[in-house]
Amino acid sequence: MIYSDIALDAVMVAVICDLFFTRTQMLTKGIFWLTYGLILPFQLLTNWWLTSKNIVMYSPSEIIGRRLAGAPIEDLLFGFSLILFTLTLWEFFLRRSRRN
Amino acid sequence: MTQLHYSFVLIFIFICAIGVNLFFRIHIAQYWRTLLATDASILFLYLIWDTWAVENGNWYFDSNQILNINIFGKLPIEEILFFILVPIMAIITYKALLKITGWQSESSQQ
Repeated sequence: MIYSDIALDAVMVAVICDLFFTRTQMLTKGIFWLTYGLILPFQLLTNWWLTSKNIVMYSPSEIIGRRLAGAPIEDLLFGFSLILFTLTLWEFFLRRSRRN
Repeated sequence: MTQLHYSFVLIFIFICAIGVNLFFRIHIAQYWRTLLATDASILFLYLIWDTWAVENGNWYFDSNQILNINIFGKLPIEEILFFILVPIMAIITYKALLKITGWQSESSQQ
């Protein structure tokens, strides 16, 4: 279940980065959760397309097996880490560019 | 047409991103340096994971439904485009929501 492990690690790295490294504190902001909440249904939609048509397939031994909208439940962790990381880095680089 | 099945997802994300950018007048191109820095970082991190996962068979692709242009060994070009487009789409969505709600991000307050 290596996908499950890495997906969980990715979320933890993104959270630690946001709270302690870049100190962007996106997790404490309503705008982050609003943005994530809007993107989530679109992630489920694209996941459904990619997995129901077997465009992307997952090795059964690397996932826990529970699925949502066709895709492994781990994809929620992956998607969350991707959005959190993106917005954290965006705010971090934006702040730096404004300071210079 | 079948070969474009994965690409449809990319085209969909692209159209949404462009649409929101124009409709809400986000002018994302003005922020190209910040956008490039963010996008390159995400691309680097997630392509390491993706390349490793594909090499190790964690997930795989139906060769009939992708363009079969590979980069970094077995990684389909669609995967690279996905990790370029999704951060841009997320940032445009974020900026549009900041505009609609009138809430401010920390950086815009400074």
